[in-house]
Amino acid sequence: MRLSYQWLCEYVDVRDISPRALAERLTAAGLEVEALTPRNRGVSGVVVGHVLTCEPHPNGDRLKVCTVDAGAGEPLTIVCGAPNVRAGQRVPTALPGATLPGGPIKRVTIRGVESNGMLCSAEELGLEVKLLPKDLTEGLFVLPEDTPVGEDIVKLLQLDDVILEIGLTPNRSDCLSMRGLAYEVGALYDRPVRFSPPSEPSVPEPSPVRVSIETERCARYDAQVVSGLIPRPSPLWMQMRLLAMGIRPINLMVDVTNYVMLEWGQPLHAFDFEQVREGHIIVRQAGADERLVTLDGQERVLNDDTIVIADPERAIGIAGVMGGENSEVRSSTRRVVIESATFDAASVRRTGQRLGLRSEAQQRFEKGVDPVAVRAALVRAAQLLCDLGGGRREGGVVSVTRGEAAVARRLEFSPERCNRLLGTDIPPSEMRAVFRRLGFSVQERDAGAWEVDIPTRRPDIALEADLAEEIARLIGYGAIPSTLPFGATTVGVRTPSQRLRRRTREVLTGLGMTEVFTYALTHPSSVDALGLAADSPYRQMIPLRMPMSEERSVLRTHLLPSLAQVAQYNLARDVAGGQIFEIARVYWPRRLPLDAQPCERTQWAGLWFGTTDADVWNRARRYDFYDAKGAVEVWLEAFGWLDGAEFRPAASPWLHPGRAAEVWLSGMRIGSFGELHPKTAASLELEGAVYAEFDLDLVVERLSDRWLVEPLPRHPAARRDLAVVVHRDVMAQDLLRVAEEAVHADGERLLEDIRVFDVYTGPGVPEDKKSVAIRLTFRSKERTLTDEEVDRLVQRVLSVWTARFAAALRG
Amino acid sequence: MDVGALETTILDIEREALGALEQVADRAALEEWRVRYLGKKSPLSQVMRQLGSVAAEERPRVGEAVNRCRDRLQTAWETAKEALSERLLNERLASERVDVTLPGRRRERGALHPLVRVMQEVEDIFLGMGFTIAEGPEVETDEYNFEKLNLPKDHPARDMQDTFYLTDALLLRTHTSPMQVRTMEAMRPRVPVKVIVPGRVYRRDEDDATHSHAFNQIEGLVVDEGIRMSDLKGVLEQFARAMFGPDQAVRLRPSFFPFTEPSAEVDVRCINCGGAGCRVCKDTGWIEILGAGMVHPHVLDWAGYDHRRYSGFAFGMGVERIAMLKYGIEDIRHLYQNDLRLLRQFARPV
Ligand SMILES: [Zn+2]
Repeated sequence: MRLSYQWLCEYVDVRDISPRALAERLTAAGLEVEALTPRNRGVSGVVVGHVLTCEPHPNGDRLKVCTVDAGAGEPLTIVCGAPNVRAGQRVPTALPGATLPGGPIKRVTIRGVESNGMLCSAEELGLEVKLLPKDLTEGLFVLPEDTPVGEDIVKLLQLDDVILEIGLTPNRSDCLSMRGLAYEVGALYDRPVRFSPPSEPSVPEPSPVRVSIETERCARYDAQVVSGLIPRPSPLWMQMRLLAMGIRPINLMVDVTNYVMLEWGQPLHAFDFEQVREGHIIVRQAGADERLVTLDGQERVLNDDTIVIADPERAIGIAGVMGGENSEVRSSTRRVVIESATFDAASVRRTGQRLGLRSEAQQRFEKGVDPVAVRAALVRAAQLLCDLGGGRREGGVVSVTRGEAAVARRLEFSPERCNRLLGTDIPPSEMRAVFRRLGFSVQERDAGAWEVDIPTRRPDIALEADLAEEIARLIGYGAIPSTLPFGATTVGVRTPSQRLRRRTREVLTGLGMTEVFTYALTHPSSVDALGLAADSPYRQMIPLRMPMSEERSVLRTHLLPSLAQVAQYNLARDVAGGQIFEIARVYWPRRLPLDAQPCERTQWAGLWFGTTDADVWNRARRYDFYDAKGAVEVWLEAFGWLDGAEFRPAASPWLHPGRAAEVWLSGMRIGSFGELHPKTAASLELEGAVYAEFDLDLVVERLSDRWLVEPLPRHPAARRDLAVVVHRDVMAQDLLRVAEEAVHADGERLLEDIRVFDVYTGPGVPEDKKSVAIRLTFRSKERTLTDEEVDRLVQRVLSVWTARFAAALRG
Repeated sequence: MDVGALETTILDIEREALGALEQVADRAALEEWRVRYLGKKSPLSQVMRQLGSVAAEERPRVGEAVNRCRDRLQTAWETAKEALSERLLNERLASERVDVTLPGRRRERGALHPLVRVMQEVEDIFLGMGFTIAEGPEVETDEYNFEKLNLPKDHPARDMQDTFYLTDALLLRTHTSPMQVRTMEAMRPRVPVKVIVPGRVYRRDEDDATHSHAFNQIEGLVVDEGIRMSDLKGVLEQFARAMFGPDQAVRLRPSFFPFTEPSAEVDVRCINCGGAGCRVCKDTGWIEILGAGMVHPHVLDWAGYDHRRYSGFAFGMGVERIAMLKYGIEDIRHLYQNDLRLLRQFARPV
């Protein structure tokens, strides 16, 4: 909403307060002033001139030589190039020494003729040309014939005004009018507000218009017919005010309705009364598929949710949104009916949204208008049309209501409760003063129990808490002290899921992985690279109804495409490679189309791409499967899960079938990792990259926060290193598992540790075989093991390996 | 045998031995010297063997001369041995010198994402003040995202948050505030409710330097008997001091949110200029970091806490905005670009 400082001063005298100070006060009161714009962009020394003569320039075909009476001394000779200059016009005349937004004006000689100034166009004066009609912006800005010669153009065009652009919060619909802003400023500065309703003359003759309301969604409809109008533009002062407020001047009848709307906040609409069949206005719901061509020339398809203004034969306007072309006020219109009404806010809003319209009227209706202003605004508009357009009232105001009339709200208020809510100690007398300034009247029922009457212009004040806010707002939020809550002391705790994620972050960053943060909205084709089956659940991505772009149109089901995009971005910028991870949700619908909240699973995903950094000690190398596995093992171990974890070959379509594993933890598959499938890698341009993903929601129940030491061993351990040759498809984990089973077959747990410490292929080992070196550590808690005992156990292991895997001890 | 000649021989032996000891350069030569001059076949031993030919009364004198000589040689040998060890060690140390300016065998640390850093920091501060951390669904119902927060259908205040709808009833949450209601519903009738809610939220906005279709919020909620707006100010002041420095102050300005009344925008002293005025704070000395207010009576009542008995405050802050202010990031999109050259800078402080 724009606020004209000059216009405001007509209602509340703040001339001693600078626009900047006013802006700061308004902002401090919650009406944030976003911009402060002087209307004058550098005009001075420009006056109204009267063009006395206008002759062609002797040396220039398009130029004219004019003599201009600028109100002081001899007429001036001025050379003018504007095509529309004519003798007899009143035009803005920049005298020598004047300045315009484009620069200073000097006496110059143009093709041999001395020019003592310049005749100006609207653009040269810095007016809002985009809002002005064409005939006022092409060529000179021709002023009305009765404009006094010699008058300062700054005064005449109200350029000495400052416009405050206020970003209103949606609750302050009252401030969508000069009236509301005047009351607000009056309250802030405790100054009287002069804003009186217009007096309504009594007109004895009956009104020619009949009004019927046939819908619940119109509480009140007032109409006034004005006839005998002379088609003319609105006066300059009104046009300039509209311009200052950002509204396009059109013609007197339209301008008056807009002007009164700005004054009172009540939207008005003027219909050509000759086009209202039978003089009968009917407010009703539209029929399904009813059509109407609106003022902008568009055919609109309506439905039964839309309120229309109609005559007995057809719709003539969409209530609160836009008038119909069939009843538009034109230059030929002599007789109008002005509408002032209240329509259901939600319905107007829905209609506007459906039609993609957002008129000034609609914005006011959808936030609620003041019922008191309905009639006052109508009377005021009729008065202006009579005064400025030569019209006369035909009959009085026709007023029809439906349902209960709105009444002023009365709220209970307790100064003590207010202080308790705010944590303040404001004396009741001060609160009373605030309400007086706001124009709210207070009755004290008992000591400490007040009743406050809220004027209808403040629909946002509906509860006692709203009154508390008004108190705090006017006294200033700075008056609220800083305290801490009383009451029980509480201990803050993180949920297991949060602890799980935090420790995961510590582990992964400790391993040198960098955390990334990517968007959850993605492209529907982002999963195409994963090699998924047509019916894969990963293809079930939840779509947005109205996405901003295809790129961000569905919720992701998989984290690999997001991480791959990060890798691509970095590889394209001289980064040789990296290890990245993200902890984020994926969104798995229970079914599509979506009928309930989806399953939001929290995962961690890692991607190792490109090469490691080379340094003095290490040559750069590609990341591989075992980089991921190392990270996974350290992560599992950080939670005490590694011993119970089982690694099995994985069959995820996006992973290399021979270089991928899935991890099982007590019967649950908690995640998988491995080198990307060559096809996936090729389409993501990430050859050789390694990817891991784990479902954190599956493991959160197993989170342990217990640490407990085992007593240190009292007896020595016995170590044996064995190298066995087995087929290359034999998995290390299977060798270890059967060895452990063999040693523990008697029930005594003597194998303390078993691990692979080397794998060899090459000379000395047959092509299809590999040599696996394994260290076994034996220890008893009760005694020192003898060599014979240990040798027997080793023999047992070897024979099991031989039997199960055809293993041969390597020489 | 002439005693005088023997004594001369002893002296000669000593002179020769000590002279030879000076020539010894390594352990082998030293050992050779020891065998030669202190061993069984040493010249001194030969002198001892000739002792029989010396007059009996002279024998002790000569024997003593031999023993003294042997002691001196023994001491000389020990000193030489020690000196040799010392020299050899010094030589070894000199030869083993490395270039200490070469890099160590380093494992690079990774880094947390700046948004996560901010969230963890904020979480830790509020944990310290006794808040619990809760999280909720990003796909929310219209009911929880709007209606139970006093934002009925077709209300113009819904324009404040352009929404991504999935169906008529489901949407991507536009703020973390639905968790206010979900938390109260889960907690009622217990008090105090003291919770913060970090999480992703979504708005139907074009992405540019200051807007993002997705961002993170941290919501806060306190409900109890006797909660005052001054408590809101005090708690946020503590937060601001912990987060931005001990000299911080907060300023409340009136505002509007449908689910709080009274409502406030909360400013902190500009962390760029400290309040003197600069480009970041548009010369006001203050920067807005939070929206807040007293929980609206309708929201309390609908969530099962009678507003006549209980009151509460709520606040919500934008994580991106704080990260940008704190880390000097100029464009919100940089937080989602994941340029490793930027992210790796978070492995170490400046
Ligand atoms: Zn600053």
